[in-house]
Amino acid sequence: MIESKAVDYLRKAEFIKNIEAVSDIQAIDAMLAALGRRSEVTDAAELRRAVIERQKMDPPLLPGGTAIPHARTDSVRSVVMAIATSPSPIMFGEIPVRLMFLIGVPNAAAGEYLQITSFLARNLRGGHLVDRLVNAENIQDFVAAFAGS
Amino acid sequence: MATTEEVKKRKRLSPVLRRLLILKLWLVERFRLKERQATLIWATFIGFCGAIVSEGFRKASEVLHYLGTGTTGGLIEGFRHLPLWQRLAVPTVGSLLAGLTLWIGNRLIASVRQKSTTDYMEAIVVGNGLISIRASVVKVVSALFSISSGASIGSEGPLVQLSSLFASLVGRFRNLPVPQRRHLVACGAAAGIASAYNAPIAGAFFVAEIVLGTVVVESLGPLILASVIATFTTRAMHGEGALYRSPDLDLHSRWELIPMLLIGLVLGFLAPVYMRLLRSVELLFTKLEIPVPFKLGIGGVVVGTIAIFYPEVCGNGKGLLESLFHQNWFWDEILLLLVVKLAATAVTFGSGAVGGVFTPTLFTGAALGTLYGQAVLYFAPDLRADPNMYGLVGMGAFLAATTGAPLMAILMVFELTLSYSIVPFLMVACVLAYYGNSIFEKRFLYGESLERKGAAFFNQQLAEISILDLIRRDPLTLPKNATFAEIAQTFVQHRFQHVYVVDKEKRLLGAVSLHDVKSFLDRPELQTVVIAADIMNENFPRVSPLQGLGEALRTFSGVQAERLPVVDNLTSQRLIGSISKTDLIIHLAGDQGALKTALSGAS
Repeated sequence: MIESKAVDYLRKAEFIKNIEAVSDIQAIDAMLAALGRRSEVTDAAELRRAVIERQKMDPPLLPGGTAIPHARTDSVRSVVMAIATSPSPIMFGEIPVRLMFLIGVPNAAAGEYLQITSFLARNLRGGHLVDRLVNAENIQDFVAAFAGS
Repeated sequence: MATTEEVKKRKRLSPVLRRLLILKLWLVERFRLKERQATLIWATFIGFCGAIVSEGFRKASEVLHYLGTGTTGGLIEGFRHLPLWQRLAVPTVGSLLAGLTLWIGNRLIASVRQKSTTDYMEAIVVGNGLISIRASVVKVVSALFSISSGASIGSEGPLVQLSSLFASLVGRFRNLPVPQRRHLVACGAAAGIASAYNAPIAGAFFVAEIVLGTVVVESLGPLILASVIATFTTRAMHGEGALYRSPDLDLHSRWELIPMLLIGLVLGFLAPVYMRLLRSVELLFTKLEIPVPFKLGIGGVVVGTIAIFYPEVCGNGKGLLESLFHQNWFWDEILLLLVVKLAATAVTFGSGAVGGVFTPTLFTGAALGTLYGQAVLYFAPDLRADPNMYGLVGMGAFLAATTGAPLMAILMVFELTLSYSIVPFLMVACVLAYYGNSIFEKRFLYGESLERKGAAFFNQQLAEISILDLIRRDPLTLPKNATFAEIAQTFVQHRFQHVYVVDKEKRLLGAVSLHDVKSFLDRPELQTVVIAADIMNENFPRVSPLQGLGEALRTFSGVQAERLPVVDNLTSQRLIGSISKTDLIIHLAGDQGALKTALSGAS
């Protein structure tokens, strides 16, 4: 149940193949720009502020080169997600990252946030899946790679 | 100089003394009084003393009546022999004196901070089992003036008050815990009712059904004991016998079952009219912005004026009931007396006179029942209905409907009449009357007053102490960057539903709820990804000492939490502690001992 819901969020995510960014902030901004078009985002500037603030606190990173910048904020009506891949690593602090999930979660949806984060963290612990995901051409390939893991 | 052997011998106990000590220990062990057994013993004592103080009140009332009117015997008989001007003057002066007593007494009491209540029901249900001595004396003296001067009100009120006060004093002097004190006051009330009506079973059930709202054996046992002892003591002074003994009555035709069953419904429908009349007149008097003595004085003038023409309205209605059951009255006489008696009772009760409406209610029910019986006899003469039988059944049905206590009503009428033949009809009528009344009226005679007093007590308890008195300092907190591993560890180690998240300055940022995270506590993958700031509820409700406990209670009602964080003020939000819902409830229940234990256990 939890798995299918999380996969659902992946399917609806904004997907950026080979993101053009050289730093973590640039990558985050590019993903936020993609999310800015979504009707669920009511205040893009506030969402950016919340994500950056959370990054400053303790950037959520997984071994294997995955970053999950996120924020719980009322600037989104429901859970929104942007996924970005980069063939060449982008430094998030001192960690090289090739796969990024930017998640915006409404304040009241702590449970959903934990479900998604738990799903991602459990599946992306190993580096081999990251390789396959980074090579995905579109969101369908991406989800298929996840499903096959 | 004693040798070592001698010293050893001296230290040893003699075999006899040793056996005696063993026997004493055995006896103490076997027969040590537990709380329940001790309550039974105290109930016996309270039953006896309750009857004695009730008798003292009756005698004092008779003496005062003699001093005021120069007559002895019943109130109605006394008033019949008075000149017309005195029929007006005696209730008027008596009511003025009763009002003056209340006025002066309440002013004197107001200067002393009361930790106890004046009402026995309040002391039992929502209070701490303490009844104020001063306030009770004021009420009883006021009732003495009212009752002895012919006010149309029941004497059972002050009898129960006195008996309950005595029980409360026992609890106070023995320093008993609150639940036991309350139980003893209930025993006192049962003893008062039992001695007033010579009705031991109904006395116990009156308190169990109306005041306690339960008839479980644990609480009923001591009530029964107190009632029975009070009744025996009263009988020893007044002799045995039911107040309104009635011969065995039975139906003359099986068809009579129909009107006999219908009487319950009819009186059940009429009960709300009676209660609304009492309430309306009471409301009218509360709107009068005049001192209490004048309010009661107005009541006295009205009763006195009616007494000029109908001296039967004086007193609680006991004499009228006797006459109704033992003389053959015409329907128009009954109707007239019913109307004037209702007017006198409503005005006396509404003016604020101290006393009860139990006996006036019995009379109203009996009169309505007799009228109903006479109507049955008139419209269906073949049934050969006995109006007296309908009067007795009507008395019980009306009592059941107005008090909301059908069981007590059945037992009361049975004990008042000792007529077993009416019991089956009485049972059906009481139950039907109860349900008939419930269609139109959700409140009952005693419940309404208790509801009001309960609300007042509740507000007083809330206002009495502040949030700071209930605060538990140093609550469990986490920094906003605490990892999920730390959060999980905190929830596993402590049995809290919420952990508060604070910043370096101890400002409250939010709370992490166990409900949100419990499904993820065993997920190691989250340990480094999720921090407290990710999952805390920033809008978690909080209170400050500047707010009252009422506000805290309202906040609790809006959140599923056992504790609320307390911040120094709602602007700076510095966390200074937490308050627990349980502590608040213990305080509202009036159990200060339990509260102190709970708070000291926490610190």
